[in-house]
Amino acid sequence: MEQSAILADRSKPVITGSAWGRKMMWQLPVITLLLCLLLTTTASAQQEVRGTVVEAGTGETLPGVNVRVKDTTRGTTTDSDGRFSIRLDADQTVLVFSYIGFEPLEMDMRGVDDIVIELQPVVTMMDELVVIGYGAVRKRDITGAVSQIRSDDIRKMTSLNADQALQGRVSGVLVTTTSGAPGAGATVRIRGVGTFNNASPIYVVDGVILDDISFLNPADISSMEVLKDASATAIYGSRGANGVILVQTRTGAGFMDGPVVTVSVEGGIQQLERKINLLSGREFAIISNEIRAGSFNNVDAVPNTDWQDLIFDIAPIQNHQVSVAGAGEWSDYYVSLGYFNQSGIIDRSQYERITLKLNNNYRLSQNFKLGNNLTIAPYRQRVAPNVTFAAYRAQPVLLPYYEDGSFGAVVNVGNPLADLANSNNHNSGVRVVGNVFAEAMVANSVLLRTSFGTDAALNRGQSFTPAFTVFNPDGTASQQTNTYSDIFKSEGINYTWLWENTVNYINSFGRHNLNAVGGFTMQQSRSERLQVAGQNVIRDGRDFWYVRPGYVIDEANNINMLSSIFNGVDPGLYYNMISFLGRVVYSYDDTYLTTVTLRRDGSSKFSKDNQWGYFPSFAVGWNIDRESFMDNVSLINDLKLRFSWGMIGNEKISYYDRFSGIDAGLLAVFGNPDAAYVAASYGRSGNPDLKWETTTQTDVGIEMSILDRRLTFEADYYNRVTDDILIELATPGHLGNGTGQRIRYNAASILNRGFEFALTWQDRLGEVGYTVGLIGNTIHNEVLEIGGSSGIDSLLIGGFLANGQPVTLSRVGRPIGAYYGFKTDGIFQNQAELDAYPSMALAGVGDLRFVDMNGDGVINGLDRTYLGSPIPKFVYGFNLDLDYKNWDFSAGFQGQYGNKIFNGKNAVRPDPYNFEAHVWDRWTGEGTSNTEPRPSFGGYNFLPSDRFIHDGSFVRLRTLIIGYSLPGSMLANLGITRARVYIKGNNLLTWTKYTGYTPEIGSFDVLSNGIDSGVYPIPRVITLGFNTTF
Amino acid sequence: MNTKKLITCTFVGLLMLGCDNFLSVNPQGELTQEAFPITAADALQSTNGVYATLRNWHYHSGGFPILDFMSDDAHKGSNPNDGAGTQGPYENFTFTPTQDGLDRWWAGLYQGIRRANVVIEKVPAVEMDASLKNRYLGEARFLRGLYYFDLVRAFGGVPLVTSTEPALSIPRASADEIYTLVEQDLQFAIDNLPEKSAYGSTDLGRATRGAARALLAKVHLFRGNFAAAETLALQVITSNQYELEPVFTDANGKNGEHGVESVFEIGAVESESIVGNQYANTQGVRGSPNRGWGFNRPSIDLRNAFEPGDPRRSGTIIELGDVIDGITILGDASTPDVTRDADGNIIEIESYNRKVWIPGLSTDTQFGHNRRLIRFSDVLLMAAEALNENNRPQDALIHLNRVRERARQGNPDILPDITVTNKDELRDIILHERRTELALEGHRFWDLVRTGKAPEVLGPAGFIQGKHELMPIPQNEIDLSQGTLVQNDNW
Repeated sequence: MEQSAILADRSKPVITGSAWGRKMMWQLPVITLLLCLLLTTTASAQQEVRGTVVEAGTGETLPGVNVRVKDTTRGTTTDSDGRFSIRLDADQTVLVFSYIGFEPLEMDMRGVDDIVIELQPVVTMMDELVVIGYGAVRKRDITGAVSQIRSDDIRKMTSLNADQALQGRVSGVLVTTTSGAPGAGATVRIRGVGTFNNASPIYVVDGVILDDISFLNPADISSMEVLKDASATAIYGSRGANGVILVQTRTGAGFMDGPVVTVSVEGGIQQLERKINLLSGREFAIISNEIRAGSFNNVDAVPNTDWQDLIFDIAPIQNHQVSVAGAGEWSDYYVSLGYFNQSGIIDRSQYERITLKLNNNYRLSQNFKLGNNLTIAPYRQRVAPNVTFAAYRAQPVLLPYYEDGSFGAVVNVGNPLADLANSNNHNSGVRVVGNVFAEAMVANSVLLRTSFGTDAALNRGQSFTPAFTVFNPDGTASQQTNTYSDIFKSEGINYTWLWENTVNYINSFGRHNLNAVGGFTMQQSRSERLQVAGQNVIRDGRDFWYVRPGYVIDEANNINMLSSIFNGVDPGLYYNMISFLGRVVYSYDDTYLTTVTLRRDGSSKFSKDNQWGYFPSFAVGWNIDRESFMDNVSLINDLKLRFSWGMIGNEKISYYDRFSGIDAGLLAVFGNPDAAYVAASYGRSGNPDLKWETTTQTDVGIEMSILDRRLTFEADYYNRVTDDILIELATPGHLGNGTGQRIRYNAASILNRGFEFALTWQDRLGEVGYTVGLIGNTIHNEVLEIGGSSGIDSLLIGGFLANGQPVTLSRVGRPIGAYYGFKTDGIFQNQAELDAYPSMALAGVGDLRFVDMNGDGVINGLDRTYLGSPIPKFVYGFNLDLDYKNWDFSAGFQGQYGNKIFNGKNAVRPDPYNFEAHVWDRWTGEGTSNTEPRPSFGGYNFLPSDRFIHDGSFVRLRTLIIGYSLPGSMLANLGITRARVYIKGNNLLTWTKYTGYTPEIGSFDVLSNGIDSGVYPIPRVITLGFNTTF
Repeated sequence: MNTKKLITCTFVGLLMLGCDNFLSVNPQGELTQEAFPITAADALQSTNGVYATLRNWHYHSGGFPILDFMSDDAHKGSNPNDGAGTQGPYENFTFTPTQDGLDRWWAGLYQGIRRANVVIEKVPAVEMDASLKNRYLGEARFLRGLYYFDLVRAFGGVPLVTSTEPALSIPRASADEIYTLVEQDLQFAIDNLPEKSAYGSTDLGRATRGAARALLAKVHLFRGNFAAAETLALQVITSNQYELEPVFTDANGKNGEHGVESVFEIGAVESESIVGNQYANTQGVRGSPNRGWGFNRPSIDLRNAFEPGDPRRSGTIIELGDVIDGITILGDASTPDVTRDADGNIIEIESYNRKVWIPGLSTDTQFGHNRRLIRFSDVLLMAAEALNENNRPQDALIHLNRVRERARQGNPDILPDITVTNKDELRDIILHERRTELALEGHRFWDLVRTGKAPEVLGPAGFIQGKHELMPIPQNEIDLSQGTLVQNDNW
């Protein structure tokens, strides 16, 4: 009986086509019903067969599968959901399913009504379907540089944000965590840093264009694709210049035989990876005595407080989810509930998020489908004050508490424990992201789709600091005093909608394959923020954290009240866009490929004359392995060359930059007695001539697999030049904008170029299956032009330390945000040396010798020079996955080479603070040291110099996982398909020369990259997890 | 196909709706320049906006009283390190075109000019009371004249901007062209502004006819047009709007704010916020009481310049140990009480500018000092100077001795009336009187320059004739102009 295929036992390995089914007690009624249905339909002479074609193993639906009645020319193809239907004559009931990249399958459909066909993929990376934005194409047809990351790899990091998983897994992508604080983000840079503005890629989640994916539970992601070159990103036009990350979330399609429930539970601990080596109390006292004689009478009697031990603690982290996926004849669903809770390794910091995911598809008819993807993600966050910096600075000779248990005063810094104890900084909110869409299939090859997506976020902040006083030992109030309690409230709402309408056309004419898409989209982004501050709240309790008029202290003339209130829009989130897009992918004989893309974007951020931009790209590819001359080359399985060129845009600037504003915040003072009167005048001049930044990218790539596809290799050379970068430049004073006012112009160019490669070796050795992956990329970043002139606007100063000193200078010929400062050349060992060399008046014997770069005999600001780049020269990752029987093992390393770190926390010393341990090796007389100057609490030796520049190269064991899957025999009786326990470590070990908490120092401001200002350390995470599917 | 039709219609409908409308987004909560000023209230606010520049820290020679540092009246002050590399070089004329403060001063003045141009260009089209409108225009032109006078005095010919939309790059106009504009603006102000007494008490501080005449008199003194200076100064004196404060310290102090001696002053509220004026905080007593940064240290030469027993000395200089308004001045721990040269001679004494003193113990109140830009005693001395130059020494003595009489405070043993009528001698006496009367108010350096005495008096400090009569054009501005702006001679 043919139907047996349908009911084939799923516990048996499925090699070729089989349908879904499982023998489970509670499913019996369904099966009986199905059988009845089947039996009734067999009766008719002509039958209609419907079904869904899915990929074996993943259950992903397959659109465009050729369905043909055997020995005839009659046939159809599956729609975008892998659905097909066909009428069969009684004598011709065998269908042939064929689809490139899958083993063909024949199956007798006699008596079948609705069936799920599983096609077994031919194991080749060349035939994977790759989502490329507004459609999907076979990897074989792709002409652009696109990297994929599997959902399994995404889940190897226990993190809030799925983009962390890209780190060390995808070539050409540099992910840098900005802080270890719960809820903190990471910077993602694809192929270098291409702009002085926001250089982050955009994310497209199920078709909705977004700026970040912090709302998304990584477990809900089925695939992520990173679009890197112009051929891939041009379809996103004005927003694609810094790369595009496409995210597909899971659906229930394919789970026809009832709900599949997945539960995963994970919990663990986080701890500080390592401490910074600082001076002990005794050492500090000795050094202090050298700086100021008599500071400490008895250096052996001083306390020795380790402030780092006091502020860091072990903290829990948990990450759980349950999901249910299923499909019926006319619909499928995926519902998941996730819970993530991370406490910080510093007290009073925490992030808690719930994610609810609802993805549904409804087939209203054979050719019409409705669906939705929806995420609702409420979160709560608690933010600790920056006590890391305070603990770094606090003198070890001070005690954290007095004998009566009250907080001890910490001179110049404040007691970090008191700061923590009085910190009540809470954020909360909810993000709702999703879309509803409708699709209609016309004439089997035209797919019309309309989708309405939204991204709505409500964020609230409240911060309360009670009135408190930390007393000095003599009983007077220290500077760490808050006379009146402070309350700060903020509320922000962002709302974006995106309406996309596309037409896809996929067809083959003999050897000609055509895959085209055209579309029209509209987007609107809106925001509003409200902030208000108050003081002297009547009681400290949380019930009183509201701002009332009486709490707003009116010190003089209501002025403080005015300045403590803000209401306005977020200038980066207030704009409208209209876009037209088109792409044609054409291939001949699966050998010669070409892709042409054009997007036309209109944005309200630009004035009428400049608001439309065109973004074209063109690419060709050649599947050499298909050529006849390759037939005898058995070593090579796949070989493709590709080339692409295109222009893409970036428009991440404030909507307000083009407008010339009125400064309504002026006040005039008249009268006797003096009183303030409202005043207004022209404010900053806008630039109505602003237009898009344009990145022109050229990419040459090769993809290859050899040795029966055990080894796959992909390499690219890219060259990205960003022109017309929107940059704020100084303007002449006579324009009347006031001192230091900068105005945005399209006036800079940046080059990024490099090689990138990904190498994977996959094989089995007996019972051991293993995969070894190696990725890497080089980055050459260079500023080509700023301002287009000489003079002060030909360079950009940034990276301001806490004391206002700038330490980065971007200038033509150097990388963005390159460090600058004095070059040191040892230490003045004696007076004769000091007299012999040019030096600043402040320099003395035992101080650093700065190099007179311009040779004018004077050491001054003009001698500051290039000291290195925060951008690594080489970024790499190494991954190893093993499986042996029920055991699995995975290790992921990530590293970077050639970047520098500026130890900003050590350079800012207006007051006496503790020192890093290297100060112990100080200069104490001629010949004692030529690197560590005589100690001082600040001043000359702390001017920005290469003394604070450190090698930022590192290798990190980012993930280490050992898992054990419980044997199927044990589970079958429990009705469980799969169960696995694992232990996982993230950021377990780091090899680096850098002495800070972490060499991974990111900044969203490209001019302040790699400056360690005393950030929240990134913790080591060790978790134990269990997941099961039934 | 129905679906097809539906979608096609939606598409077409949308396009008809117009991309243009959808793509025009108005600024939120912010007015743009096309829409201001258009109402009578806007006209008032934009006029007030021109005054706001006066309390901008940058307006006051870039934030620091560098004109006093450059004169023989004062040193940089504060503790030795504070501003040593940034403000110190003004004291010994080693400052360069990139010196801190020059670009702030330049940009601050042009910001004021722009605000004045907004009123001058846009308010005429506003529908409102005609006489009020003329007053606003007069106020704006008075202030534009004031700002350009500061510019031309400091930098010589500068880019002449009379529009709200100047070109990005403008060459320098000649000093004559700038002075012509200043004279036109001030004449317009004289013709359209009311006298001080015509303003209500809440409008004190607005530009007046008297202020415009006094400022124009000063402009003429700089230009050597003594006839015009005499006429204008005498018009101010005979307008019966002004007197001398009976108490000298009230002329700059809290009691005399908008008082009889005040010709033009900058109102400020006692608050460390945008309604205060940091000008006085910059010079306020450093240490105990903590009133400010302690810049502008009175020189020993200034102390010696006062005639024996001149009460104005203690009305000008706060010495350590002084008790003012019940507050004992202890000074700053990081500042040496006396500074000696290599030979052990005292070259500086820790002391502070009495003229910016405001009673109080905090920095907050110090922000409330109302800087007097033009005092009646200045006008009297301008009249005396012009009359002497116009060969009417007897008339000059009337005004000079009026100033000395007030200074005397009824003590017949000091500051005798001047009787000298020799023109050259009297010129020097008047200049000396200006020094002791107006010390630390920013006048001395310009008085030395315009009378040609700067090389002689300031030469030992580093003043070079033919160079330091003007400040250098800020290097920033030259760089940004890509060579359109040409530096002053010898810089």
